[in-house]
Formats: sequence, structure tokens, C-alpha cells
Amino acid sequence: MNKEKQIDLEQALKSSASERPASEATVKPRTAESRQAESRQAGPLPSELQQEGLQPAEIMADVKNLELYYGDFHALKDINITIPERQVTAFIGPSGCGKSTLLRCFNRMNDLIESCHIQGEIHIKGKNILSPETDVVSLRTHVGMVFQQPNPFPMSIYDNIAYGLRCQGIRDKQLIAERVESSLKKAALWEEVKDHLNRSATRLSGGQQQRLCIARAIALQPTLLLMDEPTSALDPMATSKIEDLVEELKADYTTIIVTHSMSQAARVSDRTAFFLLGEIVETGSTEQIFHKPEDPRTEAYISGKFG
Amino acid sequence: MTQINEQQRTDSSLQSNMQTKAQRRIRNTDRFARGCFTVAGWLAGLMIILIFFFVASRGIRVFLPSYGAEQQNIWDFLLGMRWRADNQVYGVAFIIVNTLVSAFGAALLSFPLSVVTALMITRMASPRVGTLLTTVVEVLASIPSVVFGVFASAVITRFVDSLAGLFGQTTAGGNAMLTTMILLAMMIFPTMTDIAIVSIQAVPDSLIQASLAVGATTMQTNYKMILRAARSGIFSGLVLGLGRAFGEATAVSMVAGNAYTGPSVNLFESTRTLTSTMLTGLKETTGLDYDIRFSVGIVLMILILITNSLIFLIKRKVGGGSEHEQ
Repeated sequence: MNKEKQIDLEQALKSSASERPASEATVKPRTAESRQAESRQAGPLPSELQQEGLQPAEIMADVKNLELYYGDFHALKDINITIPERQVTAFIGPSGCGKSTLLRCFNRMNDLIESCHIQGEIHIKGKNILSPETDVVSLRTHVGMVFQQPNPFPMSIYDNIAYGLRCQGIRDKQLIAERVESSLKKAALWEEVKDHLNRSATRLSGGQQQRLCIARAIALQPTLLLMDEPTSALDPMATSKIEDLVEELKADYTTIIVTHSMSQAARVSDRTAFFLLGEIVETGSTEQIFHKPEDPRTEAYISGKFG
Repeated sequence: MTQINEQQRTDSSLQSNMQTKAQRRIRNTDRFARGCFTVAGWLAGLMIILIFFFVASRGIRVFLPSYGAEQQNIWDFLLGMRWRADNQVYGVAFIIVNTLVSAFGAALLSFPLSVVTALMITRMASPRVGTLLTTVVEVLASIPSVVFGVFASAVITRFVDSLAGLFGQTTAGGNAMLTTMILLAMMIFPTMTDIAIVSIQAVPDSLIQASLAVGATTMQTNYKMILRAARSGIFSGLVLGLGRAFGEATAVSMVAGNAYTGPSVNLFESTRTLTSTMLTGLKETTGLDYDIRFSVGIVLMILILITNSLIFLIKRKVGGGSEHEQ
């Protein structure tokens, strides 16, 4: 993202609250039925993206009528969102609004939580990954994940990257070595660690650890990369490095990033979805969400009235 | 500091007076508590030193000229391959070997099983089965060694005897090296399992999630990641288990058979460990035969010290993870 655009957005952030008349902000609240009706009307292609001229081939993932419960708690309500290919989609919203929960649906990490049950569909490249026939282990090699806290394995840097490959049954040492090098280069960590790949990964700094975790995820050449607040445990310098990295990875990977920081969403993402109390209030291009949000709740959040 | 206190006192305002009183009381309590802890610490340390010196001085006595006609040659003792109390021949070398073989043999039998059990309890079993098995392990750990001993002398001996029959061998009523090993394996199993459980449970959930997220199966996560992350603690369990195997006396004495000579690598032959040598017939003897047991005690303590140091070194090499320098 270039500087001009960034400044533009910051100005927009400052001015949006004061300039927009109140009347414009009162949009009729959509009921669950009407939304379902809309998504049915849209058919296989979600309407908003169709308007932007997106072809089905350019869609990485498509969430349809997703409902998620933790026991009795209705955590995600009628989620519909389309993730375009080779773009960064940001999930923003206040704590506990379900953005991380939705993220963890894409690689079925919620399977680990016993009380969690899900209805609806998530299509990744046309395949419904929520169906019981899905091979979850193989799914997770296609959908990489970076967690909130850097969590390198207590092994050497090399073994951290090689771990996923070895779990795939890859024994070719040459291939593993190549993959380790290319992943570390892509994660902008190679120069810092190339001379001590046998050193324990836990001795790296927090920012380096997080880049290692990114390298570990992309070593498997996933099609979709999930990032769950990847910078919330890092200092500003390390954060900016990770953000640059997300920008660079866009050429090869589709990324979904959950973030608490709106400025981060504005800096790194192409599209933004705003979550509130388990619902997606609004999805659109990042520029649109930050410039002229359609929903008054989005505007209130963007302009810092709550959250 | 004292200047300020004095100033406050000369102020003679009630409030500051109370403050200094409170401060003094806190300081005194602090001093008293510190004193108690120091005394307790020194007492504990002193006790260990006292025991060591008492055993050592009594054990060394038999090798000194002042012991009189029954004085033993220290080299005959350390390098001897026969232990015939009736002939006053005391050689401890084969006993050391037998002790090492039985302890490490027991660990070899028990360690893999305990690690797998711990993994099963913590990672595979349902919470209910896990709790049940943990309780079983804890109960096993609390069984007195003499109970293990009678069990071994009644059951394991018979098993070993019939096993020996299959190989065309005979045993001394089942009192054999293998019996000792199986008994010790059973006795150190709960110690090692317990510690393995604790260290596996200490592996952070975030690591397990990270492993699953790169497409590792649950079993791969268990074996490749969790065991690796928990290896330091698992090794500590091995050290404690070996310590118990070396130090176990009561039960071992009931099945060792107390061979006169050795060392023997035949699992069906009777054996003799340092502890069984010390314990057997302790109350029916006096003089040299009594005193020499203290000498065996010194050997045992040194043996445990060396083994633990060695395992500690191994653990530092493979267990720490952070010591992976090039």
C-alpha cells in the first residue's frame, strides 16, 4: 500500500465522523430472514462481489449461512462472506465479536472444542470444507495459520520449518532444505538466521519468532493464510515488519487477518469485514469501509465511538 | 534511616510514633522468619552431611589397621567377585555390576511403557478414563515396597521360573535377576509415569494447536512434538525412577536370591544387589559382617551420585532444547 493512500485513509478516518449527516447513517436494520433471502437471490456468486466484476475463479473462499454455537451460546450468526483470491481480507471488530472464531473455521481448528457445533457451508476453491468427508489434516496443509502469540516448537529453527513437511511424509532432504530456505526468505527471516539454523527457535526474539511461524505456515505452500492478531504480542518495530510481510505475501497467498487495530486493517488489507456480536455488519473494500461505511454501527466503530 | 527515625521520635507526634512502632514490629517479624528459615535449611543440610559422615566413617573403619585382626583390604573389597560372609570374603565388584544391570534393566522395561502410558492418559484417553488411570498410577506409587516384595516372591518368581523352563533353564525357586528387574520395573513405573504425565500436561496448548495447524495428525503431534517438548521432564522422571531402583532394598531382598558370586548376565540366575547385601540378615549379625554393610552403603551412595550426574549430563545434551548450539 502506498503512502498517499494511507494518508488519504487517515484523513478519512478523522473526518468521516463529523462530515457525514446523521440521516444518512440511519439504515434500516436487516433481519436474518431478509439477509438469507438476499443470499439465496445472489445464487452461487455473492452480489457485492459480482458488482465488482469478480469471476468465480477468483474466489478463494465463500462462507454461506454459517451458524456457530459454543454449547448454548450463539457465537456466529448467519455469516456470509466471500474471500477473494490474492487479497488481504481483514476481520475487525470489538473483542468477543466472533472474528477469531470465524477465522478458526477456515482450518477447522474449532473441531478441538468439544462444545462447538457449526451449521452452514464454507467453500474453499469450491469444496465445502465443513462437510464431514473433509480430510481435516490435509485441509490444514492447504490453509496455514499464524497465531496471536508466537508459538515456535521447542526445536531448532530448521526443524520448526521442516516439521510440517516431515509430517506430510516428505523424506527428501534436498527438498526440505530448499523449502526451509525459501520459506525463511519469504518470511524475511533468512538473513537473520541463515548462520544458525540449528539454534533453538525459542531463543529468537518475539518478532523473529512470529516471522518463523509465518515461514512455518508457508513452507507447506498453502493457498489460504489465516492470521489471528499476529502482531498483538509484538512491539511496533516487529509489527511493522510483519505488516510489510503481509503486503509482500499478497503476490502468492490469500490472507485473512484478524486484527484489533483499525489502522493495521487500513494499512494492510484490501477488503475489510466488520464484526459485531457474532454478526458481520458490513463487508467491503477497505477504502469503502473506512471512507463511507454504509452501516451506522460500522461508522461508530471506525470513528472510535466504541470498541 | 536512623536519623529520620530519631527525628520522628523527637517530633513525638502520636501518628509518627505509631508508624515507627509498626515498622519495628514488621522488621522484627521479618528477622524472626528469616532466622527460622535459615535454621531449618541448615538443619536439613546438616542431617544429610551427618548421615553421610556417619556411614562413611563406620564403613571406612573396617579397612583401617585399627580394626584389628579382621581388617579388610580395600582393593579386595572393591574388586572382589565373591561375597561369602561365612568365609569372611567380601568382594563388592560383582554386586555393583549386578545392581547396575538390574536397575537399568528395570528402567529399560519400564521407561518406554511409562512414557506411552503417560501420553495415553493425557492425550488419548477420555477425561474419565484418564482420571481413573491417573488414580491407578498414584495408588501404585503409594504401595509399600514390602507389599511389592511379597507379591514378587509369590507371583513373579513363579512366572520367571516357568519362563526359565521354556528356555530349558532352572532358577533358584524363581529368585533371579529377571525377577528383580520385573519387580523394580513395576516399582519405578508409577514414579516415572507420574512425572511424565506432569511434564506432558505442561506442554502449552498453543504448541499443540500450532502442530495441528501445520497438518500434523494427532499421533504425529503426540510423538513428534509433545514428547519432544516434554523430554526434559520425562528425563527427570527417569532419573528419579533409577534412583528408586538403585535404592530399593526391602522388596529386592525378597527375590534377589543373594548369589555368592558374579557378575552374571544370565537373567535366570540369582543375583545380589548392594541394597539386598546391606539388608539381608542385618539384625542377626554383629562385628565385621555388620560393619561391612556400611562400606557397601558408601559404594551405593557413590554409585547413585555418579549415575545421576551422568544422566544429568545426557539430559543437558538432549533434553534442554535451548542448548542446541552448533
